[in-house]
Amino acid sequence: MELKKKLTEAVIRGDAAETEALTRQAIAADVDLEELLSEAMIPAMDEVGGRFARGEFFIPELMVAARAMKAGMALIRPRLAASEVQSAGRVVIGTVFGDQHDIGKNLVGSMLEGGGFDVIDLGFDVDPERFVGAAIEHQAHVIGMSALLTTTMPAMRTVVEELEKASLRGQTKIMIGGAPITQRFADEIGADGYAEDAGSAVALARALVADGGSVKGPGQ
Amino acid sequence: MTPRELVIKTLRFEAPPRLPRQVWLLPWAKNRFPQEAAALAERFPDDIVTAPPAYAIPLPVDGDRYAVGTYVDEWGCRFENVAEGIIGEVKRPLLADWSRLDDVRIPVERLGVDVEKVNTFCRATDRFVIAAAVPRPFERLQFLRGSENVFYDLIDQPPALRTLLGRIHDFYLRELDVWAGTDVDAVQMMDDWGGQRSMLVSPELWRAMFKPLYREYVDLAHGRGKYFFMHSDGYILDIMPDLAELGVDAINAQVFCMGPERLGELCAGKITFWGEMDRQALLARGSIDDIRHGVQRMRSALERRGGLIAQCEFGPGAKPENVWAFFEACGGG
Repeated sequence: MELKKKLTEAVIRGDAAETEALTRQAIAADVDLEELLSEAMIPAMDEVGGRFARGEFFIPELMVAARAMKAGMALIRPRLAASEVQSAGRVVIGTVFGDQHDIGKNLVGSMLEGGGFDVIDLGFDVDPERFVGAAIEHQAHVIGMSALLTTTMPAMRTVVEELEKASLRGQTKIMIGGAPITQRFADEIGADGYAEDAGSAVALARALVADGGSVKGPGQ
Repeated sequence: MTPRELVIKTLRFEAPPRLPRQVWLLPWAKNRFPQEAAALAERFPDDIVTAPPAYAIPLPVDGDRYAVGTYVDEWGCRFENVAEGIIGEVKRPLLADWSRLDDVRIPVERLGVDVEKVNTFCRATDRFVIAAAVPRPFERLQFLRGSENVFYDLIDQPPALRTLLGRIHDFYLRELDVWAGTDVDAVQMMDDWGGQRSMLVSPELWRAMFKPLYREYVDLAHGRGKYFFMHSDGYILDIMPDLAELGVDAINAQVFCMGPERLGELCAGKITFWGEMDRQALLARGSIDDIRHGVQRMRSALERRGGLIAQCEFGPGAKPENVWAFFEACGGG
């Protein structure tokens, strides 16, 4: 079987050891790594996301696929950096102020990393100023916020407002998620996107980056 | 008819004269709305109560689990909390790696139930009493090992996972056995299996790894003449028929996350729905009319000569007037 196809299947299966071995093999064979990424590994994660959306995969399958992807990326990244190929984007994530629930947020972080994003995880109980400060510091393309409690949802609106005050809305997009969050709420507070699960968060982040987040980072 | 008889008629689908009631009053609501909570308790008293957690030896816990800060439970799991009135989360699990597996402390103090005190409580009330113990094998795994690690483990299946789960399960069987020896009417368990629109793990994996454990819990309860109640948050539609097949008598689930109508088509008349009114949208942001409409949907979809308990959580975000409207719409008495 062709190496790229094998690699795709290894990532989908969540087989980190096989992914790593095949990636080493590709590097040794001088395969174009940008092509390897775009033709084998990213399609694998897209397939994983698709299977999740169709109810064929669940959280554990997502997690191990993202882990396998990261194992392969760890080998490819240093070489891609040398050839100036960029990451999928920089995403600052966190659970909003007053909320300690971060299991979902952590899953989103893993999936984003697996999807080739640089993730800056601020943890939980993150106040609005920290979100905005981190977006500036890391020149983030996207801020991703999570909330589990209905009482902490309003903190998301504050971050949107703080980002507006900092004149960063055009450069840093905002995506939100969490059990009580809906598209309607996202529209109400002016968020740029809502992801209903970790699988769709990666596709949303990509779309947001393509929609403007991939422009020069804040401050540039 | 006593509340206990009312609940039993409901569980047996014997056309009870009204819906039994129970509000889950979280400290968050009790602290913010003391008058509303008191009025609710007076006008709509619970038909179902929990037995006092009476132990011969105090449980070795540290802190208040509903307070801001750190709370260490009897297993040694550290919960961090940033919001008053709710329970925190484990941020640094004991078994981040497996090297400390044998250090996991089994809380044998929980087996030292003060049976006489519990029985005295049961004799003194005409309400339906549920045991204070709440086995939760999947969640205990997560508290000890960390949620993300557990998700990896479920695919990797390291031998230590089975060892740990086995120890947890053995303990819970012993704990349920102790409570089944008291005069409570039911024992209970919980595990959150649902995300917002699908299960966290595949139904096949759940059936292979966890359903057999649950079967042992239910069989133990029924073998001792106790009803079996269970709670699970999130979307669990795929395993609802399994729970009914196991003989779970009452399930507390997020009915509106799955859709009352779909649930009803699958399981109405086979299992009792122990609530719940939607707390993610309706109780928090709905109007009184929305609540009434929600109650109509629940009754129409889930009630079959019984099989439905009017239960909701009065917790973070819930509007007191909506909680009141819920119980009013469910019928007084």
